Amino acid sequence: MARFEQHGPRVPVAHATRVDKVNPRAQATRRIVAFIALIIAIIMLLPVLIMGMTAFKTRSDVASSPPKLLFKPTLEGFMYLLTDRAVANASRLAELEANAKQGKLSLFNRIALENGQEIIGPSAYVARLSNSVIIAGISTACSVILGVLAAYAFSRFKVPGKDDLLFFILSTRMLPAVVVTIPLFLMYRQLGLHDKHLGMIILYTVFNLSFSVWLLKGFIDEIPREYEEAALVDGYTRMQAFFRIVLPQAVTGIAATTVFCLIFAWNEYAFALMLTSQRARTAPPSIPSMLGRGGIEWTAIAAGSLGFLIPVVIVTFALRKYLLRGITFGAIRG
Amino acid sequence: MATIQLSGVEKKFGELHAVKPLDLTINDGEFVVLLGPSGCGKTTTLRMISGLETVTGGRVFLNGEEITWKHPSQRDMAFVFQFYALYSHLSVRQNIAFPLQAQGQKRDIVDKRLKEVVDILHIGHLLSARPGKLSGGDQQRVALARALVRHPAAFLMDEPLGALDAEMRESMRAEIKNLHIAQHATTVYVTHDQVEAMALGDRIVVMSKAEVQQVGTPIEVYYDPANLFVARFIGSPGMNLVASRIAGGAAEMPGGNRYPLPAGWAKPLGGRAEAVLGFRPEAARVSPDGALAGEVYATDMHGGYTVLHVNMAENEIVHIRSDRQTSYPMGTRVRFDIDPKAVRFFDPKSELAVRREAPVRGEVAR
Amino acid sequence: MPSINTPVSLPGASLVGRSRRHLSDRAIQNLFIWPTLILLIAVNIFPLLYSLYLSFTNFSAVSGKPPIWVALGNFASILNSEETWRYFAATGRYALMSVGMQTLIGFGLAMLVRRKFFGSGFITTLILVPMMISPVVVGLFWKLIYNPNFGFFNFVLGAGNPARGVDMLASRFAGKPMPGLALIAVVIVDVWMWSPFVMLLVLSGLNAIPEYLYEAAAIDRASPWFQFWRITLPQVSPLLLIAVLFRTIEAFKSFDLIMGMTGGGPGDQTELIAVHLYRQAFLGTFKTGYSSALAYIILIIIIATSNMYIKYLNQIKGEA
Repeated sequence: MARFEQHGPRVPVAHATRVDKVNPRAQATRRIVAFIALIIAIIMLLPVLIMGMTAFKTRSDVASSPPKLLFKPTLEGFMYLLTDRAVANASRLAELEANAKQGKLSLFNRIALENGQEIIGPSAYVARLSNSVIIAGISTACSVILGVLAAYAFSRFKVPGKDDLLFFILSTRMLPAVVVTIPLFLMYRQLGLHDKHLGMIILYTVFNLSFSVWLLKGFIDEIPREYEEAALVDGYTRMQAFFRIVLPQAVTGIAATTVFCLIFAWNEYAFALMLTSQRARTAPPSIPSMLGRGGIEWTAIAAGSLGFLIPVVIVTFALRKYLLRGITFGAIRG
Repeated sequence: MATIQLSGVEKKFGELHAVKPLDLTINDGEFVVLLGPSGCGKTTTLRMISGLETVTGGRVFLNGEEITWKHPSQRDMAFVFQFYALYSHLSVRQNIAFPLQAQGQKRDIVDKRLKEVVDILHIGHLLSARPGKLSGGDQQRVALARALVRHPAAFLMDEPLGALDAEMRESMRAEIKNLHIAQHATTVYVTHDQVEAMALGDRIVVMSKAEVQQVGTPIEVYYDPANLFVARFIGSPGMNLVASRIAGGAAEMPGGNRYPLPAGWAKPLGGRAEAVLGFRPEAARVSPDGALAGEVYATDMHGGYTVLHVNMAENEIVHIRSDRQTSYPMGTRVRFDIDPKAVRFFDPKSELAVRREAPVRGEVAR
Repeated sequence: MPSINTPVSLPGASLVGRSRRHLSDRAIQNLFIWPTLILLIAVNIFPLLYSLYLSFTNFSAVSGKPPIWVALGNFASILNSEETWRYFAATGRYALMSVGMQTLIGFGLAMLVRRKFFGSGFITTLILVPMMISPVVVGLFWKLIYNPNFGFFNFVLGAGNPARGVDMLASRFAGKPMPGLALIAVVIVDVWMWSPFVMLLVLSGLNAIPEYLYEAAAIDRASPWFQFWRITLPQVSPLLLIAVLFRTIEAFKSFDLIMGMTGGGPGDQTELIAVHLYRQAFLGTFKTGYSSALAYIILIIIIATSNMYIKYLNQIKGEA
């Protein structure tokens, strides 16, 4: 976007070789700036790092004051997160210890043993995590597919009331979750969709739809129409032109949109909190309520949070070129 | 008063030579054009003169004083950019007044100079407009006014007409020329358009691939190009260049065409087996008993004259200007002559022009 | 050459030998758009209408009784409730503080990072990570950081002893209550998360400014202040405005972060309006009718702001 008419090349001419910018003072300033930026970046990431550290601490390490920077890492938190345990009676304990000496016990079992417990199965969280994966995955697929179709239609055709419709679509995204959930809660209960995977999938699909339509429309707008027009003249139908020409060219846009929708569905908390209870509950509402023996089980929460945000971090890096577009609904190119 | 001198000025980006060491003197009041295709180093040279680019070697002088490392604003030069570089949130009047205000000039001086400059460029009616609303030509006039108002020692212009459409370009070209004559200001002008260079320049510096190819007046670069590049680049279409073998006092060209060497060429070309023969389209005449022959490949009607593309043989196509309004059908065999005074020769390996013996009396560039 | 809207029944198509019946542009248009619209209407609009109806009743989702019409009764009690106004005010304060700080910090960061230096791209991406994390998760780990006993916040401030230090989330300082501290704690987290977003937006504006404007200014001996005021700021202000509008809307919707960090406490110091709504509708007595009315009031505020935002977005897009 440009308020100054951009006729010229977008690449700015070398700033750093201007006579007044090349003196030693200017160079020193630049180095200081780089350093400050690095410090700020570290400060920004510190909380995430702290969380990461906490995931690998033992309970007592977490509760130590002043907080420990150096500690012996352990997978205890993950064990609390992912398994259900029961106190083992004396004979069972002896059995387990014998197994441990022979190296037959898994890692988690060994940790549990140190507390006098044995593992009896995966915790509820594991089920919640897989719910997250299923619901986020399917709803993203749906919203991207529907989104790309609608985006194409809005981009290429003179749809009556196009601007108003697009406006309407975008405004649905602006609603606070709570506002929509109150009636939805009732509706879902009546339709039998409460606490069902299908209910959540439908909801996430719809909420991502407005976003994906806008984002994809931006991407498709950038594909010159001439390609399709040439195909039409050559005898292809519009559908064929769409599938063979537009879609392949829109692949990067579609990929970026998919990832954004995945992130939203993955991170979503409010709807999941209000419209599910046991069966279809996803991970985010489950993480805060992990209680251990002495109250909040910080190691488990940290482990859960870390596991939950690692995919997001990886994906942020992959998507960095599209981040700006994504957040402003495709209005602004980075 | 401004004489600019470049002494061994060179620019490297890492290992890449953007401008090879260059010597140039621009005299007071002269209009010097740096001409060349994109990437030849002309803009970089201009920017080094202005201080927007550092030099990696050599020195720059203004009126004998070294300015190589001076801040761009301390060099007493004005710079006109290709894309006008006007402040879009200031009015035209504020844009023009700005350089003076930045220097802390008093109000009445600012007003006086403003009026002067506005009258010269005929933009009085635009003073309260915003630059964004003006046409390209008007915007460039405002940019020129802003440069002019400082009464700088020299004007540096970087393809100022490049962003304008063809018609606007022609009229602005004339305005710039008039402005230069009226102001008598030293100007260094960069362009890739050789028509512009020929029209505007007192002297032209032809550059290619970071090196100066030739420095001369428009007439000099047109009629006596120093090498093949200049011969091809200047003129539309460029000079015809035909590879030929020198034998028996004549240049032998494809198609059995034999052109006897004109006076003054025998000695310089003696001892060479090959040379490139060059002639401008208007130096050739279609004539029934011409010495050379070829087949018409295409005709370009320009209205007042026609340019024939003639295939001498083996796709060696030359351009010949003809006064005839009727076009020749493709394939017609024609015969033509070349004016012996206008012929030039070049060494095929070094690409340099071969110098004639002392010019024949009466020979004058046409 | 066919125009976009002519039905595609080209003689050419049959020449090429395709015998399938092909869909007209009109049909494709409908086929592609209607499913989306229908879903949106069903899951967004219809519930809103239902909610509107409910707001005029005293329905409670857990009682077996059918809804009874109370007309504007709910709205009246909301607008008369001092409590509700307090929550609106808290939300307003939160939005103001948070958006204000984000804008300043984000702008400053952008000015810092604008010229490429070694690793600038990497660093930029790195600080964008916080806003991509689920807000409830963010709330949780800041809760840990703010913990007066073993959190890093107090440690960094130099007060290891909880009795002498600050307990942000309990709004206490050195053992004495200091109301408002918890809200500030939440603001800090929000600013931490979203300043990079503002930075990114401003950065894109900064990068779009052609260098020759600064060069001309340098030759004209313009002061750095002039350059900032006349060149940098005008280019960047529309983007800043977008950031401000967007973040303000989001501040009013703020829910996940609070739930993860404070649950609305201590007391109700961080009970932002969306959290309060949740409490009314889904906890305690499930006052569905009442909360629908409240929801509508919030909705109107947000729609008004969003309208501005979307219109402005379109304007920017149009200029691009």
